[in-house]
Amino acid sequence: MLTLLSLEYRKLFGARSVRLALLVTFLMPLLWAFAPRLSALIQVNLVSGWQLPAVSIGVTIGYLLPLFIAVTVAEMIGSEVSQGTLAPLLLRPVDRTKVIASKLITALSYPFLLIFSTVLGSLLAGIPLGFGTFTGGTGLGPGLFVGVGQLTSDAAFAEVLRGSFLAGVVLMPIAALSLLFGVLYLNTAAAALATFAALIVMRLLVVLPEAIQRILLTSQLNLYVQQGDIAQPLVLLLIYTAGFGLMSIFAFDRRDV
Amino acid sequence: MTKQGAPAIPAIEVRGLYKKYGQNSVLEDVYLTVKPGEVYALTGPNGAGKTTLIRTMTGLAFPTDGEVRLLGRDVHTDGQRARAYLGAVVEAPAKFYPQFTGTQNLQVHANLSAMAPGGRKISRDRIREVLALLELTRMADRRVEEYSLGQRQRLGVASAMLAEPKVLILDEPTSGLDPLGIGLIHRIVTSLATSGCAVVLSTHHLREIATYAHTVGILTGGRLVDTVDLRARQAAYRFRVDDPVGAAAVLERLPFVRRVSTRTPYAIAHLGGESRVPDALSHLSAEGIRVFEASPDHFDLYEYYRERVEQA
Repeated sequence: MLTLLSLEYRKLFGARSVRLALLVTFLMPLLWAFAPRLSALIQVNLVSGWQLPAVSIGVTIGYLLPLFIAVTVAEMIGSEVSQGTLAPLLLRPVDRTKVIASKLITALSYPFLLIFSTVLGSLLAGIPLGFGTFTGGTGLGPGLFVGVGQLTSDAAFAEVLRGSFLAGVVLMPIAALSLLFGVLYLNTAAAALATFAALIVMRLLVVLPEAIQRILLTSQLNLYVQQGDIAQPLVLLLIYTAGFGLMSIFAFDRRDV
Repeated sequence: MTKQGAPAIPAIEVRGLYKKYGQNSVLEDVYLTVKPGEVYALTGPNGAGKTTLIRTMTGLAFPTDGEVRLLGRDVHTDGQRARAYLGAVVEAPAKFYPQFTGTQNLQVHANLSAMAPGGRKISRDRIREVLALLELTRMADRRVEEYSLGQRQRLGVASAMLAEPKVLILDEPTSGLDPLGIGLIHRIVTSLATSGCAVVLSTHHLREIATYAHTVGILTGGRLVDTVDLRARQAAYRFRVDDPVGAAAVLERLPFVRRVSTRTPYAIAHLGGESRVPDALSHLSAEGIRVFEASPDHFDLYEYYRERVEQA
């Protein structure tokens, strides 16, 4: 399994789409330092470098990060099929389940990689604002950007860490969904489009009764800023991830390649 | 009490194989057996189902009905064990990760091969050995994206034989190769078969494979319409004589002659081997038959194939 995982990560870091996504997510937060209308748009007066990760995640988590994830994860199957490298892999004495499970693990770790890159770029962009104790919030903890009084740098770091981790968890089902479409279509463009279309359709389902709306994947995308008991949405996101992941494994097991 | 040895397990066994895509039937009731050490060439017109058969035999595609066993193990239900001794190239040219070098690609395959139950590690020396065997040493550390089609194809064969397979399945192995490359692949396939490896290859080059394949399967319209045992066909010798009928009668009396026929001005006999030719000549001479020429009676596979496909 480690052999397959190391191969998947080598391919992941070699992919052009991944390099582009990492570059964009790292460089985009640097724009905030040169964005005079940013405070007006988010209606927050930024006073600390600890606030920039929340701004960056908030701006990208709706469309940009899901798009990067959908394309790259779909490519994990689609580009192997178009390059013809999936068949030689499956001709070796490896279990198909292990092959797709290694892709799934890599896919699920990819959102965390993008969030890490985003946060790193944000912290770099926040240097001019400083990282000391400040009055307000990080945007990822209680009271969001307004906060609940003074915040020490340790507490701010913990909030950023928690928010970043939860943002990664929020994006995991999207990665698993893209892998499922990748297995079903064996084509990068079709799978990425299907993933994105599914997300857009889910967003449109706000017209459904609130009980249904509450269990939609897209209704959980703000989990990373939620405070208090987050067990229910967290479990829901894990169920979505596990469900899409298991469906991918099941579909791949008897798929003609 | 004498002890009878158990019959050897066929290296490849295909039983009642059907493959349908929707309503379109691609393979129908295919039966095929390949013994260890046998070279089985699969041929047929374009669209006959050769590639589908090869993909199903290797476990890449799943049959609608029927089963495929490699060394006694079902490739679709026990794939990991069944493929433990399989080497295969199913596309021409063979496909590799273009961003990795030839050596890195083979290392990936070596690592994956070691994942077989009880699989052993493949050394770097073995990787160098197969690269040298396929005359790719010079290209070993170059990215595969820089390889020519022929070089990729040779790298494919190198990858297939990396883990010393007992079953080798190659789809159009000589496609895109120059005459020297074709000769190289022939020598390698023959050498592997001599060491006991069962080889299945699909090809359109009938006259080329007739020189080293043992059996030829003719696939057309998804059906295996004929299986030709080339060893039996090539054991025949022809004698140009002054009296073909008389010569046939003389040859028929010899104990090592299996079958005799005439095709004026020749008498044709299945002798069982080249070593019997001098014996046959001396008997013909002793009976007063004048022999002007003795030579192998080559079976024209191309003509046979043409007739068979037209009849099907």
